[in-house]
Amino acid sequence: MSLLREIAAELCSMFMADGWLALGTLIVVAVTALLVGTWPAHPLAAGVVLLVGCLVILVTAADREAKRGAAE
Amino acid sequence: MGPSLWNVTAPAVGSAFFASVVEVAEAFTIILAVGTLRGWRPGAFGTVGALGALAALIALLGPLLGQVPLQALQLAIGILLLLFGLGWLRKAVLRAAGIIPLHDEAAIFTTEAAQLAAGAHAKGAFFDWIAALTAFKAVLLEGLEVVFIVIAVGAGRGLMWSASLGALTACLAVLGIGLAVHKPLARVPENTLKFGVGVMLSAFGVFWTGEGLGIPWPGQDLALPVFAGLFLGVALVTASVLRRPPTEAVR
Repeated sequence: MSLLREIAAELCSMFMADGWLALGTLIVVAVTALLVGTWPAHPLAAGVVLLVGCLVILVTAADREAKRGAAE
Repeated sequence: MGPSLWNVTAPAVGSAFFASVVEVAEAFTIILAVGTLRGWRPGAFGTVGALGALAALIALLGPLLGQVPLQALQLAIGILLLLFGLGWLRKAVLRAAGIIPLHDEAAIFTTEAAQLAAGAHAKGAFFDWIAALTAFKAVLLEGLEVVFIVIAVGAGRGLMWSASLGALTACLAVLGIGLAVHKPLARVPENTLKFGVGVMLSAFGVFWTGEGLGIPWPGQDLALPVFAGLFLGVALVTASVLRRPPTEAVR
């Protein structure tokens, strides 16, 4: 039973190790999907939002962790 | 249109290969601790059992993936790749910046050996289940990541066999070298590999999420190396800006 729990925890941590990063990524994807749906004539603009959004999420997540580490 | 060799196939196979090197090196450290302290029979039993469980998982998931429409599959895998790849890249950036400690196989071996030695009273039993279970768990948990990466980089463009071959080559190479040197593979540049794989998985994640949403990337497959270059550049600059004196390497 504890092995199953560990496997479930491992699977969860594979994708959700940092809750903030995971939530931010899902929001960026949702906004991109919304843009593609509401502005179908310019799908590339949605693509730029997806790419830049992911880069911003990465930098912000690393910076948040660095600041948290410095505060401890 | 089939995947282009240098823009999609090579990055997919390379990602599967290098990610597998990282994961198999981690699993090998535990197998080595089990083998040297509690005997190779339970170590081999646990390893083979876990490989069988992983093979069963692939056999179960493979045909199911074939039933999913390609665009939906690309979107689902793209999102999972973004979550997984950005997570790896974030951790690699933080390690490169000295904010979290580097992964140290020698320290992990020492910790694992101490735990196994503490339970050494069971050694006289008919079969050392604790040792076998330790090896089984290590191979299964590290192997799950390899299976995900192979499926994620391979399924979107029919590259499952190529990606599997990359992963299998890495497994055989690491196990071969590990058994030859007979000590933890502490010299594997784990964070450099993780940095590179995190960059590629994030780039694949953006590419396939976009394709799944119907975004026509300019240059099609040529967009992938451009995304990878952007992720690499931004990650390197972030690590450089956040850099601190190196943290002592621990598990």
